[in-house]
Amino acid sequence: MADNAPRVVVIEDEKQIRRFVRTALEGEGCQVYEAGTAAQGLIEAGTRKPDLVILDLGLPDRDGVEVVRDLRGWIGIPIIILSARTTEDEKIRALDAGADDYLVKPFGVGELLARVRALLRRKHAIAEASDPTFSFGEVQADLSRRSVERNGETVHLTPIEYRLLGILLANAGKVLTHRHLLREVWGPASVESNHYLRIYVGHLRQKLEADPTQPKHILTETGVGYRFQF
Amino acid sequence: MEANQRPVETPSEPSGRDSGSASPSRYLVAALVCSLATMVALPLVVYFDLANIVMIFLLAVVLIALRLGRGPAVMAAFMSVALFDFFFVPPRFSLTVNDGQYLLTFAVMLAVALIIGHLVAGLQQQASHARSSEERTQQLYQLARELGGALTLIQVDEIARNYLWKEMRVRSVILVPAETENLLPVAHDGDGTLAFKIEQRLARMTFATAEPVEFNALSEASYAAYYFPLKTPTRVRGVIALAPESSDAALIKENHPRLEALSSLIAIAVERLHYVDVAHAAQSDMASERLRNSVLSALSHDLRTPLTALVGLADSLALARPELPPQQKETAEALREQALRINGLVENLLDMARLQAGTVKLKMEWQPLEEVVGASIKLLERSLLDHPVKVTIAGDLPLLAFDAVLIERVFCNLIENAAKYAPPGTVVEIDARRSGDVAEISVCDHGPGVNEKSAPGLFEMFVRGEQESVTPGIGLGLAICRAIVEAHGGAIGVTNRPEGGACFRFSLPLGDPPSIEAESPVAADAGNIHGR
Repeated sequence: MADNAPRVVVIEDEKQIRRFVRTALEGEGCQVYEAGTAAQGLIEAGTRKPDLVILDLGLPDRDGVEVVRDLRGWIGIPIIILSARTTEDEKIRALDAGADDYLVKPFGVGELLARVRALLRRKHAIAEASDPTFSFGEVQADLSRRSVERNGETVHLTPIEYRLLGILLANAGKVLTHRHLLREVWGPASVESNHYLRIYVGHLRQKLEADPTQPKHILTETGVGYRFQF
Repeated sequence: MEANQRPVETPSEPSGRDSGSASPSRYLVAALVCSLATMVALPLVVYFDLANIVMIFLLAVVLIALRLGRGPAVMAAFMSVALFDFFFVPPRFSLTVNDGQYLLTFAVMLAVALIIGHLVAGLQQQASHARSSEERTQQLYQLARELGGALTLIQVDEIARNYLWKEMRVRSVILVPAETENLLPVAHDGDGTLAFKIEQRLARMTFATAEPVEFNALSEASYAAYYFPLKTPTRVRGVIALAPESSDAALIKENHPRLEALSSLIAIAVERLHYVDVAHAAQSDMASERLRNSVLSALSHDLRTPLTALVGLADSLALARPELPPQQKETAEALREQALRINGLVENLLDMARLQAGTVKLKMEWQPLEEVVGASIKLLERSLLDHPVKVTIAGDLPLLAFDAVLIERVFCNLIENAAKYAPPGTVVEIDARRSGDVAEISVCDHGPGVNEKSAPGLFEMFVRGEQESVTPGIGLGLAICRAIVEAHGGAIGVTNRPEGGACFRFSLPLGDPPSIEAESPVAADAGNIHGR
């Protein structure tokens, strides 16, 4: 395998799940390292210099959220967590602790690869000099010039809408929790006013999405937060 | 039962109570004391002045008042005057008086004797009252202590019964409300009979009005004639029925305050036992809820793990390179679909179990409805490939308070249903508007519609529209929708549209959404008209 192949550490206690994740990732040209426990996973993550970590939240030996925190403590690489559908709170805690994205079990190979690609691309993009221009759907945005255009026409955004869009674009592909967005846009005092965030996301969709009721770019992660997708 | 225990001797009466009542022996004693005083005084008359002889008689009166009470003291006062006159005032041994001034002596002596006698007897009576009320208080304390240690209602009843019998010769039983409207005796076990009968009407009246009720005429017929409510600050906990041994109405009347104190002591004991029960129940509820939750989450984890592996493995087989021959690839895809279906069933079952167990806590947040609609459509992308969705949300629909995850589940179930039953290529229409004080939301399709007769049953568990339908699914989806909508205080129903197709409608209460401060238009793009 080529040296510049992305390295992925998979921390998951179920062998069969590890197996298909490995097959899928290797098909993408990744180098995969497996770990069955949190302890082993942290060792792998520390020694293999991975580009991405896939972490099951339901590990037998430790609380998944703590593992996220530990990983975040010393490596800046993207983390995808695997979790159950009904455990929103755990997901939110893991995302707030620094995880980038999540997959709900059961998930297909397609979903998995889409998330992995998005995060690896992101990592790549950050490594290169960041480009202040973005283009999605009918919209062109240039954050350096504070301009947003739709079909060539200027779209006027309020300062809050603009700040919100900026954060979403800068974190494209990542799931951003309500709390995170509120803190970034409104400041730490506003983390409980979820309805403000929802209204402003609604405004952005009205202004930027082709069909605001069926958004293609500013996606809702119900009960968790939002994700921007190009 | 109590008849056997009845002691032979009458209960000792408090001494103070009868001190004023006629009792010939006391007067006799009083007379003897007066005579004794005369005999003591007779030899002294040579040494002492007559005025000092009077003192001996007064002393006798005081002693009589002290020991024998008011009546004998009064008699002694008159008798002393008479004896003094007869034996000491010249002419001696005659009731006649030579010197008129002795009349004053007699008058003063009588007055002083009467007053002293009266005062002393009164004091004595008060002292004995104080003693007996002290005794009663002691007994009430004792009772309170015993009631405080009682662990069951039957013990409380027994303590009260013993006390009332010992103190007042009153039989009693505690009645507590039963599931029927009657009040049942707590100790209605053992030999199963009470020594008296209960008049339910009076008991219920006492319970309802929280006032003592008496009906003395009943006591003849061996009914309990007195009913005292067991009142606590929160509510009436029951009734204590009293059946005095004698039909002497004065007994209850006299002891009324004591009986009220007793009832409130019993009431407190009954209430304490009630709260002990409540605490026990809450504790075991909590324990069973914890168990249920851990069983559910263990089950959900244990089922999900192999399903995740199955879906993923089937998927990687289908996507394997080099590509599989078409038939095998199809098989792999079918495997994946079936695994996802099982997953859907498992999710539904677990959701229903959670909803039914009441362990779901709604995370109510104010939010626009379109967001959750959009998220649901996005989630169902795969199932909606053949069904475009048209969303119409009234512009005046305010923010609604709901649990986004659960309402998303409702939308997913309804939209998926629509896509499942309506022929490919037809539109699924989602509509939301306000209607009175609720938001009225509908998901309509262009399918065959539902059998309106069996429509309400659709929301029951394990019911499907068509018998033996070829369309896969288990009748839990709509039951889950109903449970979720009802938990939000809304209602769900289904109708057929005149132009064909089914319309599932549900409502959510509008409530009072928080006000939104408009962004102050001071910064960069101030005053610009919003885009779109």
